[in-house]
Amino acid sequence: MESSSHMASLPEDASDEHDHHHNHHQIHPDSAFASVPHRPPTKTSSEKYSPVDWSLYFDKEDDVTIPESNDVFHVYMAGSEGPVVFCLHGGGYSGLSFALAASKIKENARVVAMDLRGHGKSVTDNELDLSVETMCNDVLAVIKELYKDSTPAIIIVGHSMGGSIAVHVAARRSLPTIAGLVVVDVVEGTAMASLIHMQKILSSRMQHFSSIEKAIEWNVRGGSLRNIDSARVSIPATLKYDDSKKCYVHRTELEKTEQYWKGWYEGLSDKFLSCPVPKLLLLAGTDRLDRSLTIGQMQGKFQMIVVRHTGHAIQEDVPDEFATLIINFISRNRIGPHGVEIPGLRKPAFSKP
Amino acid sequence: MDSNSHGNLDEQISQLMQCKPLSEQEVRGLCDKAKEILMEESNVQPVKSPVTICGDIHGQFHDLAELFRIGGKCPDTNYLFMGDYVDRGYYSVETVTLLVALKVRYRQRITILRGNHESRQITQVYGFYDECLRKYGSANVWKIFTDLFDYFPLTALVESEIFCLHGGLSPSIETLDNIRNFDRVQEVPHEGPMCDLLWSDPDDRCGWGISPRGAGYTFGQDISEQFNHTNNLKLIARAHQLVMEGYNWGHDQKVVTIFSAPNYCYRCGNMASILEVDDCKGHTFIQFEPAPRRGEPDVTRRTPDYFL
Repeated sequence: MESSSHMASLPEDASDEHDHHHNHHQIHPDSAFASVPHRPPTKTSSEKYSPVDWSLYFDKEDDVTIPESNDVFHVYMAGSEGPVVFCLHGGGYSGLSFALAASKIKENARVVAMDLRGHGKSVTDNELDLSVETMCNDVLAVIKELYKDSTPAIIIVGHSMGGSIAVHVAARRSLPTIAGLVVVDVVEGTAMASLIHMQKILSSRMQHFSSIEKAIEWNVRGGSLRNIDSARVSIPATLKYDDSKKCYVHRTELEKTEQYWKGWYEGLSDKFLSCPVPKLLLLAGTDRLDRSLTIGQMQGKFQMIVVRHTGHAIQEDVPDEFATLIINFISRNRIGPHGVEIPGLRKPAFSKP
Repeated sequence: MDSNSHGNLDEQISQLMQCKPLSEQEVRGLCDKAKEILMEESNVQPVKSPVTICGDIHGQFHDLAELFRIGGKCPDTNYLFMGDYVDRGYYSVETVTLLVALKVRYRQRITILRGNHESRQITQVYGFYDECLRKYGSANVWKIFTDLFDYFPLTALVESEIFCLHGGLSPSIETLDNIRNFDRVQEVPHEGPMCDLLWSDPDDRCGWGISPRGAGYTFGQDISEQFNHTNNLKLIARAHQLVMEGYNWGHDQKVVTIFSAPNYCYRCGNMASILEVDDCKGHTFIQFEPAPRRGEPDVTRRTPDYFL
């Protein structure tokens, strides 16, 4: 468990980075930029975007070895009582996408965030098999290893690609203690419509970063994450150091997993509606409901909340609000550590005369 | 009201019938008059038959015009609308302004109840707020309307036997007098009896349940039977849920759901309906399909630039 050791040995640490820029001006005195007076920033960008360790937000991390396989899944945990909020990140993210939210949710519930196959610090035989079936099996295997035969009540939360896995896990009905389903900013209709653009979007991402700070800065400035504090803890786990190129690259080779993309989203809306547990759909900014979900919502089959002033990664951009929404969902549906607790609610009792 | 004032109002109504919004100043004047009328109405507003009962409209102005074409013009036909005039559709402003104008012009002929979308919070998420900004350049008209929504009655009672409301029953309400006694002039609360009336849904399971919507309750047939028995009612008519045929009986005909927005959100493919209650208290449902559209905005939405 060497959580942050690779961060301590960055090829460029904060002071090097600053000096490098400074030297640049001195080496090229004829450059037009040479006349710009040197103004020391109040905070250097490498400080502003410096990585932060998971342990600031989670209580512990663990490696879960799946029996009869070579697969080891990395999980982060927080909290000591209440039902378990089991978090599944989106494609290209990691369990640390939920770090800030976890530090808040843990006051009321336990949080487990796993690194999915091919992501973060999980290590598997086939890092590119991101089929929804395989990832569902992974999630169920991790839950089984963590809790053996005494699985607590679980609220399964998934963001984007992870939302699809959460729906598939809940829809399988093989885990009877699942007591709630939360899907974060993914809807079949719009996800399917955007698939054709995805290779282009993936290839237009910045591919190489001279430092982790640069990668954090790029994500924040590019708008894919709007919360610097979250980016500082979540982005490092999405990178790996490429020894031959001497730079950081994306940990997950999403562009090689195209064959599975359609499977993530096809039939997702009807599957979501079929899950026999309380359901919450969190959407960023605008309502993107497709036909099935519009009908389902208008028939009162699930709760939908549109979270304003946030990007796609709601849990990272507005972690406190996200945590409050999760906690309210748990308490409204009266989900305790052992499942739904409804004392007498079903009785036809008028509570007030 | 003098004839000149009626004259202006009649002009405004005919302008609105062409789906043309009024000026901000006209909206303000109209809502001032509507407030005086609505504040006199009861939380359980009595209504006489014959009357035509309608469900959600959601800014689908052309379908509301179709509804009047099929059901008859107001005031030739009496109407009772059960809320959700705004949000989702493209013409919330024109829709709610027309209904309020009709209320001011023919106060005995039309009853407009409050739905869960007649709320400051919900309209900021589902479109009415943005539409007001777009059409008037400021939030003033949104403010005027949402202030007026606080005065809309919550329920109506047709000939003492059909109880009409947007959502459904509440575990905190046993009798109609319970409803008559509370102060409705406020934003729709997050919980409690007023919230439940606007948010609850009937359910196949008996008793009370937690609503999957995140507000209100679900109530079973036993609850409906007990409520109708206690209050000498024959039927609960409500809206709030999309039903593919436009209407749907539940709880052994103790509850009916009426939905009046055909092809809801321009994508659901459902029929709409209205319920005519005649002089002899007989019921007739009239179903209708979407009005033919001219030049309505394309319903395809922006695709997000991510999917991961």
